[in-house]
Amino acid sequence: MENFLNFFTVLTDPYLFLMVGVGTFAGVYIGAIPGLSVTMAVSILISFTFSWEVHPAIALMIGIYMGGVYGGSRTAILLNIPGAPSAIATAMDGYPMALKGKAGEAIGVTTVMSFLGGFIGIFVLAVAAPFISDFALKFQPRDYMFLAVLGILLVGSLSTGSLIKGIFAGALGLAIGSVGMDPLTFTPRLTFDLTFMKSGISFIAVMIGMFGVSEALLQLHQVGLPSIRQKIDRIIPSFGTVKKHLGLSMQTSTIGVIIGALPGTGGDIAALMAYDHAKRVTKNPEVPFGEGAIEGLVAPETANNAAVGGAFIPMMTLGIPGDAVTAIMIGALFIHGLNPGPMLMIEKPDMFWFIVGALVVANFFMLLFGLTGIKFFTKVVEMPRSVLIPLILLLSIVGSYAVNNSISDVYWMLGFGVFGYFMRHYGYPLGPVILGVILSRLLDDNWRRAIISEKEDLGRFFVGVFSSPLSTILLAAVILIFVSQTPLWAKMKSRLSSAKNRSHS
Amino acid sequence: MSQTEDKYDDHHDGRSDATPGGYANERRPGELIFTLFLVIVSAILLLEAYGISGLKKLSSPGVIPMATTGVMLVTGLIILFQTVRLPKVATETIAKDILPIVVIVFVAILAGFSFLLKPLGFVPSAFMFLVFSIKFLSRRNWAYVLGLSLLTLVGIWLIFRVVFSVLMPAGVFPEAELIQFFRTLFAGAE
Repeated sequence: MENFLNFFTVLTDPYLFLMVGVGTFAGVYIGAIPGLSVTMAVSILISFTFSWEVHPAIALMIGIYMGGVYGGSRTAILLNIPGAPSAIATAMDGYPMALKGKAGEAIGVTTVMSFLGGFIGIFVLAVAAPFISDFALKFQPRDYMFLAVLGILLVGSLSTGSLIKGIFAGALGLAIGSVGMDPLTFTPRLTFDLTFMKSGISFIAVMIGMFGVSEALLQLHQVGLPSIRQKIDRIIPSFGTVKKHLGLSMQTSTIGVIIGALPGTGGDIAALMAYDHAKRVTKNPEVPFGEGAIEGLVAPETANNAAVGGAFIPMMTLGIPGDAVTAIMIGALFIHGLNPGPMLMIEKPDMFWFIVGALVVANFFMLLFGLTGIKFFTKVVEMPRSVLIPLILLLSIVGSYAVNNSISDVYWMLGFGVFGYFMRHYGYPLGPVILGVILSRLLDDNWRRAIISEKEDLGRFFVGVFSSPLSTILLAAVILIFVSQTPLWAKMKSRLSSAKNRSHS
Repeated sequence: MSQTEDKYDDHHDGRSDATPGGYANERRPGELIFTLFLVIVSAILLLEAYGISGLKKLSSPGVIPMATTGVMLVTGLIILFQTVRLPKVATETIAKDILPIVVIVFVAILAGFSFLLKPLGFVPSAFMFLVFSIKFLSRRNWAYVLGLSLLTLVGIWLIFRVVFSVLMPAGVFPEAELIQFFRTLFAGAE
């Protein structure tokens, strides 16, 4: 109970309260400005806040996270350009609404629904995480290993892209993470006998390169994109509209929390899945989907904000990030000497309740900033890309240099930026790379612990796996993801669906 | 999803992991070379990983690097075989859709910036970077470019020095002297 009181830390400390507010405000704009993403902002920010105390740094990041996931919807509605990946589905019906002169209503519904979804996510986090972390104490090293692999695989399998490219990206991340001196035996690994490789590759350099520089380089393709202005009228939605879609919003929030809580997958995937769900369950929409259906706004916006709370669940309880942003936050906690995982919940439960409190405050700030300041907003978003892109690049260089005061980090960052640029062009997801870098150590340690405890015997290892229901389920899930990509599965699926169709007709 | 993609994303640039770039059934210009590059890098890394500790024990430090680089090589080869068989995208060229001049120029400017960062110091090199890149992208007159660059630089410098207390290489710019000058100025005023 006394730990729960830390929930109010943010409310009682004006400085932290301010940090969440500033973060959320900045987040709404970062999310909204096409070319600035939350992942990018948080990865650059981590290098600037590492000399701070842990609480204000986390408070700022949480604000940016919450605000940013929401902010993308604004530009999706007004300009048909999703400001953030999580708003891709929002553009599908938001922009048609704006074209019909209902931009204000669209923004209002989006804001209220994001708030609602955000709360459901936080609520589930607050209720479920303590139980999961109790349960997590029983996890064997091999379970952590499977979870890490599962997280890396999930991004590739739930997105529209190719799983095999996702697996490559994840393996690459794991390999990058193992460069340097092995912490247990002090053997140099993947260093090619080069001195500057011995200290390893800074994960911040990888992150900023992948999410900052590569994104900015992509934006260079669209420097001259014209901006369109929309008329904005009434913003605050009527109670009737909210009430009418409450049922759907509960379902899509649930989807959001679950996708968020699955390791690796975050708001962007949750929003797309929720949109598909809404399309399936809404039998008679007033306006067809794709032409400005309110359901098409409710679903992705509740889901992506619900995924925020969800993403913290595996991060706080297992030390396995729920999405790319929480992956970066794990990095931030590491830098501040904290080690996310079940022990964190036991040793520092105050940290958990502080994060929950900060999320709640950020959610309220989001509602506040969402329903106000639209005029100012349209001005900021029209910031020309010819200034924005150099700014992002400058921040990326400053950020990658600042962590270790090392120029070689800057070169790594640029290298990964260019590499990530090509990866994006050719359909390789970047999330698994970051997840791999962050989880590399966890995977390696747990594999060695698991195999040493089984006396280096693979047979005994698998006997151990199959004698534990949890390990069996996790291993089965990993295998299922692989099988789901083989031609065999596609054949089975088409046979099943054709059987279904026949029975329907 | 495809309908929005058509509307705003005609470059298939992979803005998000939920909708990665590329095409499922076609090969983009340069994709084959990139895949080949990935396969070669994976093979070199696997060789290096084998050199860590060989195959002596399942718990030796080289096992996970060997496993991950091995997965890279295998998946890389599968992707290579898949890519080879795909037809090329007819409407795209490297110069227009993958690596336009503007991107090459920017990578060069960035490399130059990071190279000069240490010897020249943050303030002059960042100013040069901003002027070059904003001029290059906006094509506005010099007064606009210089003014905007200066404003941006002062903003960034203040935020980093004051809010985040980040130390950047001082180089030839008398940064410390400048701060000291203002300190004495304000101290004198009190």
